Amino acid sequence: MLNKLKETLINKTPIEAAEAHCDGPCGVYDPSSTRVPAEAVLSMTKKILDLKKPDDGDDKAYAAYANTLARYISIKEEQAQIAKDESLILWTDYFKPEHLEKYPDLTDLFWKTAKLCSACKQEVSLEHAKELLSNVKKIHEMFWESKGRDVPWYTAS
Amino acid sequence: MGELPKAGWKETALLLFDLRTRYLVEGDSMIPTLTQGDQVSVDRKADIAVGDIVVAKHPFKKSVTVIKRVREIDENGRYFLISDNLEDSNDSRSFGYVSKTHILGIATCLLN
Repeated sequence: MLNKLKETLINKTPIEAAEAHCDGPCGVYDPSSTRVPAEAVLSMTKKILDLKKPDDGDDKAYAAYANTLARYISIKEEQAQIAKDESLILWTDYFKPEHLEKYPDLTDLFWKTAKLCSACKQEVSLEHAKELLSNVKKIHEMFWESKGRDVPWYTAS
Repeated sequence: MGELPKAGWKETALLLFDLRTRYLVEGDSMIPTLTQGDQVSVDRKADIAVGDIVVAKHPFKKSVTVIKRVREIDENGRYFLISDNLEDSNDSRSFGYVSKTHILGIATCLLN
């Protein structure tokens, strides 16, 4: 009875909001969101390099070739940007200063990964595309180790 | 981590006489001490010490008020605020130390 009265009195007073939110959707981070686009970049780079230009004079074949090449380039560009965005989210939102103490090369790794994403957009470089995926593997290992979980590296392709 | 006591009649009276402010907790970054929907009474004039749960203005988002725990007070009197739920939370690890002008008060008890 008295508690009910107390509750009623409390509920008559004004109330304000105090946020105790997390950065992301409460800890849902996974480096696979970087791995998948990085794999796509490598795949598109290989496909561009393997694409054969048709013989001169075959306009129809040339149109098909140009269309395919444009699509490969467009996908490579788009997926490299996604890989860059997703890795930056992990870097700035998931990793904290205490992780830097354990992984002193963390900042350098993410910085170079972002640079590789840009290089993969600018160039058709198998070397840089492979290097990008290799960096994503390092991020994967660092991330899951920081969570105390043993998640083996795998690729979809 | 210190838990907050339940409000007694004294705290209720202080609230009714506007000597305390009632805040609603939104989010889970203060778990296990506070959870979504909890209500706390805040003393706007109490001295702040390490370990206190405080309500503060976000240093970079004017419209946002946060509730965090004081982990450290530096030599310049600035406060390092941390979440009780350390994983993935937005606190002084991302927005840095906050000045006393940002602190709105100390949570003294639970109202629900």
